[in-house]
Amino acid sequence: MDDVLAVEKVSKRYRTARTRPVTLKAAVLGALSREQLDDGYHWALRDVSFSVAHGDAVGIIGHNGAGKSTLLRLLCGVGRPTSGRVRRVGPVQGLLELGSGFHGDLTGRENLLTGGMLCGLSEREVRAREDEIIAFAELEDFIDQPVRTYSTGMYMRLAFATAMHLDPTVLVVDEVLAVGDARFQAKCLARLKTFRTGGGTLVMTSHAMDQISALCDEVLVLEDGRVATMADPETALRCYDDLMRQRTERRAATLAGRPVELAVDGSRLGTQEARVVAVRLSDADGGAVSSLRSGDPLVIELDYERDPSVSDAALTVAIFHEATKCFEVTTESMAATFAPLGMRGTVRCELPRVPLLPGNYHVTVGLYPPTFDFTYDYHWQMHGLHVDGPASARSITGVVAVEPVWSRR
Amino acid sequence: MKGRPLRFQLALIGHLVRREFVLSYRRSTLGFLWSLLLPLAQLLVLVLVFDTIVPLGIPRYPAFVFSGLLPWTWFSTCVSMACGLFITNRDLVRHPDFRPAVLMVVTAIAGMITYLAALPILLVVMVTHGQWIGPAVLFFPVLGLIEGVLIVGLGLLVATLNVFYRDIQYLTGVGLMLLFYLTPVFYRPPDATRGGLGLLYDLNPMAGLVQGYRAIFFDGTMPSLLALGIATALSSLLALVGYAVYRRSEHDMIDAL
Repeated sequence: MDDVLAVEKVSKRYRTARTRPVTLKAAVLGALSREQLDDGYHWALRDVSFSVAHGDAVGIIGHNGAGKSTLLRLLCGVGRPTSGRVRRVGPVQGLLELGSGFHGDLTGRENLLTGGMLCGLSEREVRAREDEIIAFAELEDFIDQPVRTYSTGMYMRLAFATAMHLDPTVLVVDEVLAVGDARFQAKCLARLKTFRTGGGTLVMTSHAMDQISALCDEVLVLEDGRVATMADPETALRCYDDLMRQRTERRAATLAGRPVELAVDGSRLGTQEARVVAVRLSDADGGAVSSLRSGDPLVIELDYERDPSVSDAALTVAIFHEATKCFEVTTESMAATFAPLGMRGTVRCELPRVPLLPGNYHVTVGLYPPTFDFTYDYHWQMHGLHVDGPASARSITGVVAVEPVWSRR
Repeated sequence: MKGRPLRFQLALIGHLVRREFVLSYRRSTLGFLWSLLLPLAQLLVLVLVFDTIVPLGIPRYPAFVFSGLLPWTWFSTCVSMACGLFITNRDLVRHPDFRPAVLMVVTAIAGMITYLAALPILLVVMVTHGQWIGPAVLFFPVLGLIEGVLIVGLGLLVATLNVFYRDIQYLTGVGLMLLFYLTPVFYRPPDATRGGLGLLYDLNPMAGLVQGYRAIFFDGTMPSLLALGIATALSSLLALVGYAVYRRSEHDMIDAL
């Protein structure tokens, strides 16, 4: 077949810091006392097999610590598997974890030259592309500064631009698109799409599921170092959500010391370490409402409580029409956004205009640990919202209130 | 660069040598001059001590010391730099297409260039003491090659082990200090030292090499072929051991960095 990457029964373990003899003395003593050093290994990957055909785009998703970065490193040939093997046909260009590709004391321009030459270009060839790379990275003013002075965003821009201009045929991208401003992210995504159209093979991880769905044909879900599934993006994302739910259940059971029925009342789910205790919908004047007119403002207030063990949480607020998500906003760190969390408190989300078509909606709220590994509390369709509108709008269906104006020309 | 044509590998090594110098002398006003000033300062100290304070009675002592000090500096600088080699060049070591061993070759070449740049100074020191070089200097490339092999071999050993055991860098420091006194850099080894102390000279490849350099520059004579043979054998052995240790750990190293 024309697989460009094949991963065959790959397992990878790391020694955890506890067992690695960090000094000669410890190593000698360990050897003398015949201490068993066998336990204390961490298996980052177990028996992972899959392959990537030429021109394919594969996304890899999984919770934090599922082994995504380890897998991508092995794909690039950085380190080798403890067992199994990775076959590569031709060179693989990797954009791995930030901070590993450049030497901090060298300038951007010098690092770029080294990077190019490592990929087999001559100095002249790199110089010929230099301006293009710098322009893409938008680093004209900083390219002769040491890389150690760069922000993570600048660093990522240089890494991405360099990798994309070295004529990769197989590109492995680890979560690098997460940093940098939205505009540059969009530019990178567009560039990756061009790369795909040009026949390039892509393997990427991202926490942004929409990036994965937009770019990938197939998605591999990793759960605790094993392949949970490999399927089309839609199926894989559903599997990922299920896994998250299972993790939440397991955690809730551990916390409670017994199996827990998670769905608290059919529409609520979570370990309840942090809880949304009340959700209030009000209009601009502060009066409680359960319905509003299309285009009116809406204020969503929610009261939360937390256990002392929870110091930060991510919050999502969304409006659903049945299972269709009309809108969702995510606050990845409440502590960073709203100042350190009290044991209980209230946050307020104001929507100056709700351009929804008349109909029945639900406000959905969720509290998660900042890593999104499981769920603290999730209210599914518990808070109804009715939107009224002018009767004239009967001919319009959907969820978004756009106001079409017809005329004949 | 695995499997790439030699031309690329040479271009890359050239680039990395240049990078090495850029990194070493960035933000210092005197830059490369420092690599000449440091051995000169050491020369000054040794001359002050062993020609004036406790005279060893060696004629044309500055030229005598300098002819041995330069190859020693090449050796000791490279070996002590080897300790941090894979740690400070993490960006290269973690590059999938890069063989980390190349870094040790790069370090040895950079040290060699510094050595070559200091040779005119040695010439000046010798000429001011009324001495000119003879045809024996044609042996220089041979000596340089043996020392290069020694540096790369020992360097690989030190660099690899230090990734896993950071004690190595301190051991290396102590070892180099001891070796400096066990290598006839600033003195002539006593003649009748067969067995006992003599074994230390026989088993120290740097002793044979330093005496070889001194022979071709200072004495204007052929180096002792026996000593060179021993140095060659020991250097090759060390290189083999160093490379074997490095190869065994090459892939695990990346996880430990």
